[in-house]
Amino acid sequence: MDCTQEGPVSRGMNTRTPVIELRQITKSFGSFTAVHTIDLVIGEGEFFTIVGPSGSGKTTVLRMLAGLETPTSGDILLRGKRINDVPANRRPTCMVFQSLALFPHRTVGENIEFPLKIRDVSKADRKARALQLMEQLRLPADYYGKNVTKCSGGERQRVALARALAYNPDILFFDEPLSAIDYKLRKTLEKELKDIHRETGKTFIYITHSLEEAMVMSDRIGVMRQGRLVQVGTPNEIYTAPNSKFVSEFIGDVNIIPVAINGTGKLHSAELGAEFTSPPIPAGFRSGHLVVRPESIRIVERSDSAENRLSGRLYNEYALGSRIQYQVRVGEQVFIVERLRQQAFQGGIDSEVQIGWNARDSILVGD
Amino acid sequence: MAGATTSGAAGSKRWRTALLWAWVLSVVAFMYMPALSLLLASSTSSRYFIFPITRWGFDWWEKTFNSIEIHILFKTSISIALCVTVIAVVIAFFGALAFARYDWKGRSLFQKIVLLPIFFPQSVLGLALLLWFNAMGIPLSWKSTVFAHLVWIVPVVTLVISIQVYSFDPALEEAAFDLGATRWQVLREVTLPVLFPGLFSGALFAFLLSWGNFPLSLFTTGADTTLPEYLYAKMIAGYTPGVPVLGTVSTMMAAILLLGGYGLIVLRRRARLK
Repeated sequence: MDCTQEGPVSRGMNTRTPVIELRQITKSFGSFTAVHTIDLVIGEGEFFTIVGPSGSGKTTVLRMLAGLETPTSGDILLRGKRINDVPANRRPTCMVFQSLALFPHRTVGENIEFPLKIRDVSKADRKARALQLMEQLRLPADYYGKNVTKCSGGERQRVALARALAYNPDILFFDEPLSAIDYKLRKTLEKELKDIHRETGKTFIYITHSLEEAMVMSDRIGVMRQGRLVQVGTPNEIYTAPNSKFVSEFIGDVNIIPVAINGTGKLHSAELGAEFTSPPIPAGFRSGHLVVRPESIRIVERSDSAENRLSGRLYNEYALGSRIQYQVRVGEQVFIVERLRQQAFQGGIDSEVQIGWNARDSILVGD
Repeated sequence: MAGATTSGAAGSKRWRTALLWAWVLSVVAFMYMPALSLLLASSTSSRYFIFPITRWGFDWWEKTFNSIEIHILFKTSISIALCVTVIAVVIAFFGALAFARYDWKGRSLFQKIVLLPIFFPQSVLGLALLLWFNAMGIPLSWKSTVFAHLVWIVPVVTLVISIQVYSFDPALEEAAFDLGATRWQVLREVTLPVLFPGLFSGALFAFLLSWGNFPLSLFTTGADTTLPEYLYAKMIAGYTPGVPVLGTVSTMMAAILLLGGYGLIVLRRRARLK
């Protein structure tokens, strides 16, 4: 299936003024091409997240934007001006590193003041600004003189963000800063970061391998795979209209059925020996995958009018808190079905069940 | 039955502890008794070293410290050690960055070549340097010895500093650069302070290794004499209890420097962890 109905550039980019623009950016290290002809426009004040598995080239893209790497070919434009050769220390951008890169020989206050000290801001003004940022980021004022290596993970995150904000950049970059943080704190920090984004109105460009994290915070998401930008869109677009099997799989559990067009022009699965009603099939489609999200599949009761049905055996069930996940085995394939706890399925493990979904709840994608 | 086993186990454990302590004490005695005997030998008032000491006294300490010859000895040894320390730390700092911080073509070869001089027999190295200085027409003095010491000490100091560099997060430099610092500011504000403990131990190593070095000095000082050379010469001909006095002073200086340095690092760490 061809996914070029809409170019990845235009999608979801609303009426914002472009602040940073990548034109045909390629980056090679020796014979290895880390980033492959990327085109992307990011708008003023946008929270843009680049998602991809490790080795997909997302960090390289960010490092080029920050000025820590130079593109092999293509141009980077900041408000229309080419900045390929402007080094990192002269760009109005600042990065929060994966390791946070806090200076271990300095206190919390000295870390935050670093960019101000570089600019010869007076000691009193520096301190005032540092304390102001600490308050904004919910760091207690008595942490000012605290050794930065003695701070907890969440506090260190806030110090790193405060230091970046002290530089007063137009654009902030984040290189997976939350990857080493435990789940609960990460959820809190994600929301805080989104709040800071709204308060400051600055452009945030974030990198993560977790699409879930990207969903929570971003205005738009770009998905990268093997050095290429495969889809750009709002979180909702990425979730409901992935343009490939790769993107659809990226967000947690999903049911994927390999399908092909059969003689009668309908979708057919050889493995399951079944035909499916699907959303409109694009012209030229031969084979691909039918994607159905677990919450769109249901265990079919007698009165149900599901357009697609399969018979299987309830194989296992998992309590996920507010939801219950069922695994239903149909032939060799395991389907994931989710229900709210209140609507728990009453039959036991190993009972014969029918699962079903409506055509409009499924997505047809290429490989 | 069970009680007997327990007390038996406790008994054997006590024995093991006692044996372990005996072993540790004998090793410590073996290592430090010679230094102590040096102190004993220097505390006699007689002309020769006769044991047991019959006339105790510190006459030789006074005589030694009042000798102008000894003053010059100290001056020479300290000058060499200080010059070696400064030059070695500067060269080794950049060497250690190339050794451990940056990934470049030929790094693995560089690492091997740099470390090789540590394993040269020092007397052979001294002789080779002597021949080399002669061939180059360089006059021998304490200055040529500085160079000779550097050949052996720079690799050691490079290794010492490299250990610190290996634990250095390169993102620190990038972060400072990204926050607006120039390359020079990055070096001054981040790289040097973070690597300071390594540089400091490197400096201590350089000073102490130069201070105690005999084989390289022997071949390369020309008319100048260092402390270890003097001790050796006096042992060959003209022993006085002034020799152990100098030996004791030399050892104590090294020990004080080492302990002082260690104390400084501990204090600094404690201040940081406040």
